[in-house]
Amino acid sequence: MKKAIRVDQKDNVAVVAQDTLKGDIIDCGGLEVHATDNIPLGHKIALDQIEKGAFVVKFGVPIGRASQRIETGDHVHIHNLEDITGELCKVYEKKFREMGA
Amino acid sequence: MKTISAYRRPDGRIGLRNHVLVISLVSCSNAVVSRIAQATGAVPITHEFGCVEFEEDHKRTKLALISAGTNPNVYGALLVGLGCEQTSMADLLLAISAAGKHVEAILIQKEGGVPEAVARGIEIVKGLQEGASRQERIPCGAEGLVVGVQCGGSDWTTAVAGNTVIGAMSDLVIANGGSVLMSEVMGFPGSEHIVAANAVNREVGLQILEMISDLRSEYFELYGQPIQEVNPTPGNKAGGITTLVEKSMGNIKKMGNAPIQGILQLGEPIPHPGLWVVDNRAQGPDPFNITGFAIQGANVAVFSSGRGSPVGCAVMPVIKITGNPETFENLRSIIDFNAGLVIKGQSISETGAALYDLLLKVADGELTKSELNGNLEYTIPREPARKKRQAHCVAGGFGHVSKK
Repeated sequence: MKKAIRVDQKDNVAVVAQDTLKGDIIDCGGLEVHATDNIPLGHKIALDQIEKGAFVVKFGVPIGRASQRIETGDHVHIHNLEDITGELCKVYEKKFREMGA
Repeated sequence: MKTISAYRRPDGRIGLRNHVLVISLVSCSNAVVSRIAQATGAVPITHEFGCVEFEEDHKRTKLALISAGTNPNVYGALLVGLGCEQTSMADLLLAISAAGKHVEAILIQKEGGVPEAVARGIEIVKGLQEGASRQERIPCGAEGLVVGVQCGGSDWTTAVAGNTVIGAMSDLVIANGGSVLMSEVMGFPGSEHIVAANAVNREVGLQILEMISDLRSEYFELYGQPIQEVNPTPGNKAGGITTLVEKSMGNIKKMGNAPIQGILQLGEPIPHPGLWVVDNRAQGPDPFNITGFAIQGANVAVFSSGRGSPVGCAVMPVIKITGNPETFENLRSIIDFNAGLVIKGQSISETGAALYDLLLKVADGELTKSELNGNLEYTIPREPARKKRQAHCVAGGFGHVSKK
Protein backbone atom coordinates (compact mmCIF):
# COMPACT_ATOMS: atom_id res chain seq x y z
CA MET A 1 0.00 0.00 0.00
CA LYS A 2 1.13 3.57 -0.66
CA LYS A 3 2.41 5.35 2.45
CA ALA A 4 2.55 8.73 4.16
CA ILE A 5 4.65 9.68 7.19
CA ARG A 6 2.96 11.18 10.22
CA VAL A 7 5.74 12.63 12.36
CA ASP A 8 3.75 13.33 15.54
CA GLN A 9 0.48 11.91 16.88
CA LYS A 10 -0.84 15.51 17.16
CA ASP A 11 -0.35 16.11 13.41
CA ASN A 12 -3.41 16.56 11.18
CA VAL A 13 -1.30 16.19 8.02
CA ALA A 14 1.19 13.54 6.84
CA VAL A 15 3.85 13.57 4.10
CA VAL A 16 3.23 11.22 1.17
CA ALA A 17 6.18 8.90 0.45
CA GLN A 18 5.43 8.52 -3.28
CA ASP A 19 3.55 10.33 -6.03
CA THR A 20 -0.07 9.81 -5.11
CA LEU A 21 -3.13 9.73 -7.37
CA LYS A 22 -6.67 10.81 -6.59
CA GLY A 23 -8.49 7.77 -5.21
CA ASP A 24 -5.36 6.05 -3.84
CA ILE A 25 -5.65 4.59 -0.34
CA ILE A 26 -2.74 5.81 1.78
CA ASP A 27 -1.43 4.16 4.94
CA CYS A 28 -0.56 7.03 7.28
CA GLY A 29 1.01 5.16 10.17
CA GLY A 30 -1.95 2.76 10.64
CA LEU A 31 -4.59 5.31 9.63
CA GLU A 32 -6.01 4.72 6.11
CA VAL A 33 -6.91 7.82 4.11
CA HIS A 34 -8.41 8.13 0.60
CA ALA A 35 -6.54 10.77 -1.43
CA THR A 36 -8.99 13.27 -2.92
CA ASP A 37 -6.32 14.96 -5.08
CA ASN A 38 -3.16 14.03 -6.95
CA ILE A 39 -0.40 14.68 -4.38
CA PRO A 40 3.28 14.84 -5.42
CA LEU A 41 5.99 13.01 -3.43
CA GLY A 42 6.98 14.93 -0.29
CA HIS A 43 3.76 16.98 -0.17
CA LYS A 44 1.16 16.90 2.60
CA ILE A 45 -2.13 15.00 2.82
CA ALA A 46 -4.86 15.97 5.33
CA LEU A 47 -5.59 13.25 7.90
CA ASP A 48 -8.73 14.95 9.18
CA GLN A 49 -11.22 17.68 8.36
CA ILE A 50 -9.62 21.06 9.08
CA GLU A 51 -11.99 24.03 9.40
CA LYS A 52 -11.15 27.35 7.71
CA GLY A 53 -9.03 29.34 10.18
CA ALA A 54 -7.89 26.26 12.16
CA PHE A 55 -4.23 25.35 12.59
CA VAL A 56 -2.53 22.87 10.32
CA VAL A 57 -0.27 20.81 12.61
CA LYS A 58 2.96 19.06 11.54
CA PHE A 59 5.94 18.05 13.73
CA GLY A 60 3.44 18.43 16.61
CA VAL A 61 3.24 22.24 16.17
CA PRO A 62 1.07 24.66 14.14
CA ILE A 63 2.80 25.33 10.80
CA GLY A 64 0.07 27.62 9.46
CA ARG A 65 -3.68 28.23 9.19
CA ALA A 66 -6.23 26.67 6.82
CA SER A 67 -7.26 29.42 4.38
CA GLN A 68 -10.31 27.34 3.40
CA ARG A 69 -12.04 24.25 4.72
CA ILE A 70 -9.82 21.21 4.13
CA GLU A 71 -11.35 17.71 3.78
CA THR A 72 -9.69 14.45 4.83
CA GLY A 73 -7.44 13.26 1.99
CA ASP A 74 -6.95 16.71 0.44
CA HIS A 75 -3.60 17.97 -0.78
CA VAL A 76 -2.46 20.63 1.74
CA HIS A 77 -0.21 23.30 0.26
CA ILE A 78 -0.08 27.02 -0.64
CA HIS A 79 -3.64 26.96 -2.11
CA ASN A 80 -5.29 26.12 1.25
CA LEU A 81 -2.58 26.75 3.89
CA GLU A 82 -1.66 30.28 4.92
CA ASP A 83 1.87 31.04 6.21
CA ILE A 84 1.38 32.79 9.58
CA THR A 85 4.93 32.25 10.84
CA GLY A 86 5.42 35.94 11.68
CA GLU A 87 2.23 35.97 13.74
CA LEU A 88 3.13 32.75 15.59
CA CYS A 89 6.60 34.10 16.45
CA LYS A 90 5.27 37.51 17.56
CA VAL A 91 2.36 36.21 19.67
CA TYR A 92 4.66 33.78 21.43
CA GLU A 93 7.43 36.31 21.98
CA LYS A 94 4.96 38.82 23.47
CA LYS A 95 3.48 36.18 25.80
CA PHE A 96 6.95 34.97 26.77
CA ARG A 97 8.28 38.46 27.52
CA GLU A 98 5.22 39.40 29.59
CA MET A 99 5.37 36.14 31.54
CA GLY A 100 6.97 36.84 34.93
CA ALA A 101 8.29 40.21 33.70
CA MET B 1 23.72 3.86 32.61
CA LYS B 2 25.35 2.84 29.31
CA THR B 3 29.07 2.15 29.27
CA ILE B 4 31.51 2.62 26.41
CA SER B 5 35.24 1.98 26.19
CA ALA B 6 37.19 5.14 25.50
CA TYR B 7 40.38 7.07 26.30
CA ARG B 8 40.22 9.03 29.56
CA ARG B 9 42.06 12.35 29.11
CA PRO B 10 43.93 14.25 31.85
CA ASP B 11 41.22 16.98 31.83
CA GLY B 12 38.53 14.37 32.58
CA ARG B 13 36.97 14.36 29.11
CA ILE B 14 36.82 11.17 27.06
CA GLY B 15 38.30 10.46 23.65
CA LEU B 16 36.65 8.05 21.23
CA ARG B 17 39.74 8.11 19.06
CA ASN B 18 43.43 8.52 19.86
CA HIS B 19 44.70 10.69 17.03
CA VAL B 20 48.15 12.13 16.51
CA LEU B 21 47.78 15.35 14.48
CA VAL B 22 50.18 17.29 12.31
CA ILE B 23 48.99 20.90 12.46
CA SER B 24 50.01 23.55 9.98
CA LEU B 25 50.48 27.04 11.49
CA VAL B 26 50.34 28.82 8.16
CA SER B 27 49.46 27.87 4.59
CA CYS B 28 53.23 28.03 3.78
CA SER B 29 53.77 24.85 5.81
CA ASN B 30 50.83 22.87 4.38
CA ALA B 31 52.98 20.79 2.00
CA VAL B 32 55.36 19.72 4.76
CA VAL B 33 52.37 18.78 6.94
CA SER B 34 50.82 16.72 4.14
CA ARG B 35 54.06 14.84 3.49
CA ILE B 36 54.62 14.04 7.17
CA ALA B 37 51.02 12.85 7.48
CA GLN B 38 51.26 10.69 4.35
CA ALA B 39 54.45 9.05 5.56
CA THR B 40 53.15 8.31 9.06
CA GLY B 41 49.37 7.95 8.80
CA ALA B 42 48.94 10.86 11.22
CA VAL B 43 46.00 13.21 10.65
CA PRO B 44 46.90 16.46 8.83
CA ILE B 45 45.32 19.82 9.68
CA THR B 46 45.95 22.25 6.83
CA HIS B 47 44.23 25.54 5.97
CA GLU B 48 44.68 28.73 3.97
CA PHE B 49 45.35 31.15 6.84
CA GLY B 50 47.91 32.03 9.51
CA CYS B 51 49.52 35.20 8.18
CA VAL B 52 48.57 38.80 7.34
CA GLU B 53 45.15 38.32 8.90
CA PHE B 54 43.02 40.97 10.60
CA GLU B 55 42.75 40.55 14.34
CA GLU B 56 39.27 38.95 14.45
CA ASP B 57 40.10 36.57 11.61
CA HIS B 58 43.35 35.56 13.23
CA LYS B 59 41.65 34.94 16.59
CA ARG B 60 39.38 32.48 14.81
CA THR B 61 42.33 30.76 13.09
CA LYS B 62 44.15 30.33 16.42
CA LEU B 63 41.00 29.12 18.17
CA ALA B 64 40.44 26.51 15.45
CA LEU B 65 44.04 25.24 15.52
CA ILE B 66 44.25 25.12 19.32
CA SER B 67 40.85 23.40 19.48
CA ALA B 68 42.01 20.74 17.02
CA GLY B 69 44.99 20.01 19.26
CA THR B 70 42.96 19.96 22.48
CA ASN B 71 39.99 17.92 21.17
CA PRO B 72 39.40 14.91 23.46
CA ASN B 73 39.92 12.52 20.52
CA VAL B 74 43.52 13.72 20.21
CA TYR B 75 46.51 12.16 21.98
CA GLY B 76 49.14 14.57 20.76
CA ALA B 77 50.24 16.84 17.94
CA LEU B 78 53.21 18.08 15.97
CA LEU B 79 52.97 21.78 15.10
CA VAL B 80 54.65 22.80 11.84
CA GLY B 81 55.41 26.45 11.14
CA LEU B 82 57.52 28.28 8.60
CA GLY B 83 59.26 30.58 11.08
CA CYS B 84 57.97 34.06 10.26
CA GLU B 85 54.17 33.54 10.28
CA GLN B 86 51.62 35.50 12.29
CA THR B 87 50.42 32.41 14.22
CA SER B 88 52.36 32.28 17.48
CA MET B 89 54.00 28.90 18.00
CA ALA B 90 54.49 29.71 21.69
CA ASP B 91 50.77 30.41 22.21
CA LEU B 92 49.74 27.18 20.49
CA LEU B 93 52.30 25.08 22.38
CA LEU B 94 51.16 26.54 25.69
CA ALA B 95 47.43 26.13 25.06
CA ILE B 96 47.62 22.59 23.69
CA SER B 97 50.02 21.30 26.35
CA ALA B 98 47.88 22.92 29.07
CA ALA B 99 45.12 20.46 28.04
CA GLY B 100 47.50 17.63 28.93
CA LYS B 101 48.42 16.80 25.34
CA HIS B 102 51.81 15.68 24.06
CA VAL B 103 52.82 18.45 21.71
CA GLU B 104 55.99 19.22 19.76
CA ALA B 105 56.97 21.83 17.21
CA ILE B 106 59.23 22.39 14.21
CA LEU B 107 59.89 25.41 11.97
CA ILE B 108 60.86 24.87 8.33
CA GLN B 109 63.35 27.76 8.37
CA LYS B 110 65.07 26.36 11.48
CA GLU B 111 65.18 22.78 10.20
CA GLY B 112 67.07 23.95 7.09
CA GLY B 113 64.41 23.40 4.43
CA VAL B 114 61.57 21.15 3.33
CA PRO B 115 63.22 17.69 3.10
CA GLU B 116 64.88 18.36 6.46
CA ALA B 117 61.62 19.44 8.10
CA VAL B 118 59.78 16.43 6.65
CA ALA B 119 62.43 14.00 7.93
CA ARG B 120 62.50 15.56 11.40
CA GLY B 121 58.68 15.72 11.48
CA ILE B 122 58.35 12.02 10.60
CA GLU B 123 60.76 11.13 13.41
CA ILE B 124 58.79 13.20 15.96
CA VAL B 125 55.40 11.88 14.83
CA LYS B 126 56.61 8.27 15.07
CA GLY B 127 57.60 8.96 18.68
CA LEU B 128 54.17 10.46 19.41
CA GLN B 129 52.45 7.49 17.76
CA GLU B 130 54.45 5.10 19.91
CA GLY B 131 53.21 6.93 23.00
CA ALA B 132 49.65 6.87 21.65
CA SER B 133 49.82 3.11 21.03
CA ARG B 134 50.53 2.55 24.73
CA GLN B 135 47.21 4.21 25.69
CA GLU B 136 44.32 1.86 26.36
CA ARG B 137 40.60 2.21 26.16
CA ILE B 138 38.94 1.92 29.55
CA PRO B 139 35.26 1.63 30.51
CA CYS B 140 33.70 5.10 30.60
CA GLY B 141 30.11 6.26 31.10
CA ALA B 142 28.14 7.35 28.06
CA GLU B 143 27.70 10.74 29.80
CA GLY B 144 31.08 11.67 28.30
CA LEU B 145 29.61 11.69 24.79
CA VAL B 146 29.42 15.14 23.22
CA VAL B 147 27.49 14.76 19.97
CA GLY B 148 27.17 17.43 17.28
CA VAL B 149 24.04 17.09 15.12
CA GLN B 150 23.75 18.48 11.62
CA CYS B 151 22.13 18.07 8.23
CA GLY B 152 23.04 19.04 4.68
CA GLY B 153 22.33 18.03 1.08
CA SER B 154 18.66 17.81 2.03
CA ASP B 155 15.72 16.35 0.14
CA TRP B 156 12.07 15.69 1.06
CA THR B 157 13.07 12.90 3.48
CA THR B 158 15.50 14.97 5.57
CA ALA B 159 12.92 16.67 7.80
CA VAL B 160 10.51 13.76 8.25
CA ALA B 161 12.92 10.81 8.43
CA GLY B 162 16.61 11.86 8.78
CA ASN B 163 16.26 14.68 11.30
CA THR B 164 13.39 13.23 13.33
CA VAL B 165 15.48 10.07 13.81
CA ILE B 166 18.47 12.18 14.91
CA GLY B 167 16.09 13.96 17.33
CA ALA B 168 15.03 10.61 18.85
CA MET B 169 18.74 9.70 19.20
CA SER B 170 19.51 13.10 20.78
CA ASP B 171 16.87 12.41 23.45
CA LEU B 172 18.63 9.11 24.28
CA VAL B 173 22.07 10.80 24.43
CA ILE B 174 20.67 13.29 26.96
CA ALA B 175 18.70 10.63 28.90
CA ASN B 176 22.00 8.76 29.38
CA GLY B 177 23.71 11.86 30.75
CA GLY B 178 25.52 13.01 27.61
CA SER B 179 25.59 16.25 25.62
CA VAL B 180 24.14 17.27 22.26
CA LEU B 181 25.33 20.33 20.33
CA MET B 182 23.12 21.97 17.72
CA SER B 183 24.26 24.85 15.50
CA GLU B 184 22.85 25.85 12.06
CA VAL B 185 21.24 28.83 13.85
CA MET B 186 20.70 30.48 10.44
CA GLY B 187 17.90 27.93 10.09
CA PHE B 188 16.17 28.87 13.37
CA PRO B 189 14.16 31.96 12.27
CA GLY B 190 10.55 30.89 11.90
CA SER B 191 10.60 28.45 14.77
CA GLU B 192 12.39 30.51 17.42
CA HIS B 193 9.17 30.51 19.43
CA ILE B 194 9.37 26.71 19.62
CA VAL B 195 13.11 26.67 20.36
CA ALA B 196 12.67 29.29 23.11
CA ALA B 197 9.78 27.29 24.60
CA ASN B 198 12.22 24.37 25.01
CA ALA B 199 14.68 26.50 27.01
CA VAL B 200 15.55 25.27 30.49
CA ASN B 201 14.48 28.63 31.99
CA ARG B 202 13.14 32.07 31.08
CA GLU B 203 16.59 33.65 30.87
CA VAL B 204 17.83 31.14 28.29
CA GLY B 205 14.54 31.52 26.38
CA LEU B 206 15.09 35.28 26.18
CA GLN B 207 18.70 34.75 25.03
CA ILE B 208 17.43 32.54 22.20
CA LEU B 209 14.87 35.18 21.14
CA GLU B 210 17.57 37.91 21.27
CA MET B 211 19.96 35.83 19.17
CA ILE B 212 17.33 35.21 16.48
CA SER B 213 16.18 38.83 16.49
CA ASP B 214 19.83 39.87 16.01
CA LEU B 215 20.23 37.31 13.26
CA ARG B 216 17.09 38.50 11.45
CA SER B 217 18.33 42.10 11.40
CA GLU B 218 21.81 40.95 10.33
CA TYR B 219 20.22 39.10 7.41
CA PHE B 220 18.16 42.14 6.46
CA GLU B 221 21.18 44.48 6.57
CA LEU B 222 23.21 42.11 4.40
CA TYR B 223 20.64 41.10 1.81
CA GLY B 224 18.09 43.92 1.99
CA GLN B 225 15.17 41.52 2.41
CA PRO B 226 13.61 39.87 5.45
CA ILE B 227 14.24 36.13 5.80
CA GLN B 228 10.53 35.29 5.48
CA GLU B 229 10.34 36.96 2.05
CA VAL B 230 12.91 34.59 0.56
CA ASN B 231 11.87 31.50 2.54
CA PRO B 232 10.55 28.95 1.84
CA THR B 233 12.26 29.13 -1.56
CA PRO B 234 10.43 28.20 -4.80
CA GLY B 235 12.43 24.94 -4.69
CA ASN B 236 11.22 24.24 -1.13
CA LYS B 237 7.63 24.85 -2.24
CA ALA B 238 7.93 22.58 -5.27
CA GLY B 239 9.19 19.91 -2.85
CA GLY B 240 6.13 20.26 -0.59
CA ILE B 241 7.20 22.78 2.07
CA THR B 242 4.50 25.45 2.45
CA THR B 243 5.51 27.73 5.34
CA LEU B 244 8.64 29.10 7.04
CA VAL B 245 7.85 27.51 10.40
CA GLU B 246 7.51 24.19 8.60
CA LYS B 247 10.89 24.58 6.89
CA SER B 248 12.57 25.69 10.10
CA MET B 249 11.06 22.86 12.17
CA GLY B 250 12.64 20.36 9.80
CA ASN B 251 16.03 21.71 10.92
CA ILE B 252 15.43 21.97 14.66
CA LYS B 253 13.89 18.48 14.98
CA LYS B 254 17.48 17.20 15.28
CA MET B 255 17.66 18.62 18.81
CA GLY B 256 14.94 16.32 20.12
CA ASN B 257 12.83 17.35 23.09
CA ALA B 258 15.35 17.91 25.91
CA PRO B 259 15.54 21.33 27.58
CA ILE B 260 18.09 23.70 26.02
CA GLN B 261 20.71 24.58 28.64
CA GLY B 262 22.04 27.70 26.93
CA ILE B 263 23.78 29.31 23.98
CA LEU B 264 27.53 28.87 23.55
CA GLN B 265 29.76 31.15 21.51
CA LEU B 266 32.41 29.37 19.44
CA GLY B 267 35.24 28.35 21.77
CA GLU B 268 33.19 28.72 24.95
CA PRO B 269 33.51 25.61 27.12
CA ILE B 270 30.43 23.45 27.79
CA PRO B 271 29.51 24.19 31.46
CA HIS B 272 27.65 20.91 32.12
CA PRO B 273 26.15 18.04 30.10
CA GLY B 274 22.85 18.52 28.25
CA LEU B 275 21.52 20.08 25.07
CA TRP B 276 23.34 23.24 23.95
CA VAL B 277 22.97 25.62 21.01
CA VAL B 278 26.24 26.79 19.42
CA ASP B 279 25.90 30.30 17.96
CA ASN B 280 27.87 29.52 14.80
CA ARG B 281 26.60 31.80 12.02
CA ALA B 282 29.18 30.77 9.44
CA GLN B 283 27.46 30.68 6.05
CA GLY B 284 29.23 28.14 3.94
CA PRO B 285 29.67 24.46 3.20
CA ASP B 286 28.72 21.78 5.76
CA PRO B 287 32.26 21.33 7.21
CA PHE B 288 31.92 24.86 8.68
CA ASN B 289 29.41 23.59 11.21
CA ILE B 290 31.06 20.19 11.73
CA THR B 291 34.39 21.90 12.46
CA GLY B 292 32.46 24.20 14.83
CA PHE B 293 31.43 21.14 16.86
CA ALA B 294 35.04 19.91 16.95
CA ILE B 295 36.06 23.36 18.22
CA GLN B 296 33.48 23.03 21.04
CA GLY B 297 35.09 19.73 22.08
CA ALA B 298 32.54 17.36 20.55
CA ASN B 299 33.94 13.83 20.26
CA VAL B 300 31.49 12.64 17.58
CA ALA B 301 28.96 14.08 15.12
CA VAL B 302 25.84 12.73 13.42
CA PHE B 303 24.96 14.13 10.01
CA SER B 304 21.82 13.49 7.97
CA SER B 305 21.71 13.96 4.23
CA GLY B 306 18.83 13.05 1.94
CA ARG B 307 20.94 13.31 -1.19
CA GLY B 308 24.08 11.84 0.39
CA SER B 309 27.29 13.53 1.52
CA PRO B 310 30.77 12.10 2.14
CA VAL B 311 31.91 14.77 4.64
CA GLY B 312 33.79 13.86 7.79
CA CYS B 313 36.13 15.58 10.22
CA ALA B 314 39.84 15.41 10.95
CA VAL B 315 39.36 14.94 14.70
CA MET B 316 35.95 13.24 15.05
CA PRO B 317 34.06 10.31 13.61
CA VAL B 318 31.04 11.64 11.69
CA ILE B 319 28.16 9.16 11.43
CA LYS B 320 26.34 9.71 8.16
CA ILE B 321 22.65 8.87 7.93
CA THR B 322 20.04 9.32 5.21
CA GLY B 323 16.26 9.39 5.38
CA ASN B 324 16.09 8.35 1.75
CA PRO B 325 16.17 4.54 1.23
CA GLU B 326 17.24 4.95 -2.42
CA THR B 327 20.16 7.19 -1.45
CA PHE B 328 21.22 4.58 1.12
CA GLU B 329 21.28 1.83 -1.54
CA ASN B 330 23.07 4.02 -4.10
CA LEU B 331 25.69 5.47 -1.73
CA ARG B 332 26.45 2.68 0.73
CA SER B 333 30.17 3.49 0.64
CA ILE B 334 29.60 6.90 2.27
CA ILE B 335 26.51 6.37 4.47
CA ASP B 336 26.51 4.49 7.78
CA PHE B 337 22.84 4.30 8.67
CA ASN B 338 19.52 3.91 6.85
CA ALA B 339 16.91 6.17 8.47
CA GLY B 340 14.90 5.56 5.30
CA LEU B 341 13.33 2.63 7.17
CA VAL B 342 10.97 5.33 8.52
CA ILE B 343 9.74 5.89 4.95
CA LYS B 344 9.12 2.13 4.72
CA GLY B 345 7.00 2.23 7.88
CA GLN B 346 9.40 1.68 10.81
CA SER B 347 8.72 4.01 13.76
CA ILE B 348 10.86 7.09 14.38
CA SER B 349 11.54 6.13 18.02
CA GLU B 350 12.63 2.58 17.10
CA THR B 351 14.92 3.91 14.34
CA GLY B 352 16.34 6.58 16.70
CA ALA B 353 17.15 3.87 19.25
CA ALA B 354 18.98 1.87 16.55
CA LEU B 355 20.97 5.01 15.67
CA TYR B 356 21.89 5.47 19.34
CA ASP B 357 23.15 1.85 19.39
CA LEU B 358 25.33 2.62 16.35
CA LEU B 359 26.60 5.76 18.10
CA LEU B 360 27.76 3.62 21.06
CA LYS B 361 29.51 1.17 18.69
CA VAL B 362 31.31 4.05 16.95
CA ALA B 363 32.24 5.43 20.37
CA ASP B 364 33.76 2.00 21.16
CA GLY B 365 35.96 2.25 18.07
CA GLU B 366 33.90 1.02 15.09
CA LEU B 367 35.08 3.11 12.14
CA THR B 368 32.61 5.29 10.25
CA LYS B 369 32.49 5.49 6.46
CA SER B 370 33.93 9.02 6.60
CA GLU B 371 36.97 7.67 8.50
CA LEU B 372 37.38 4.67 6.17
CA ASN B 373 37.21 6.98 3.17
CA GLY B 374 39.73 9.45 4.59
CA ASN B 375 37.27 12.35 4.79
CA LEU B 376 39.37 14.40 7.18
CA GLU B 377 37.88 17.84 6.63
CA TYR B 378 38.75 20.65 9.02
CA THR B 379 37.33 23.88 7.62
CA ILE B 380 37.75 26.92 9.84
CA PRO B 381 34.32 28.55 10.09
CA ARG B 382 34.28 32.19 8.93
CA GLU B 383 31.47 34.58 9.78
CA PRO B 384 31.36 37.39 7.22
CA ALA B 385 28.00 38.69 8.47
CA ARG B 386 29.13 39.68 11.96
CA LYS B 387 32.51 40.84 10.67
CA LYS B 388 30.94 43.03 8.01
CA ARG B 389 28.87 44.84 10.64
CA GLN B 390 31.99 45.58 12.68
CA ALA B 391 33.86 46.74 9.57
CA HIS B 392 30.93 49.03 8.76
CA CYS B 393 31.29 50.77 12.15
CA VAL B 394 35.02 51.34 11.60
CA ALA B 395 34.41 52.76 8.12
CA GLY B 396 31.80 55.10 9.60
CA GLY B 397 34.37 56.32 12.12
CA PHE B 398 36.86 57.22 9.43
CA GLY B 399 34.17 59.04 7.47
CA HIS B 400 33.45 61.19 10.51
CA VAL B 401 37.15 62.06 11.01
CA SER B 402 37.71 63.05 7.36
CA LYS B 403 34.78 65.49 7.45
CA LYS B 404 36.42 67.62 10.15
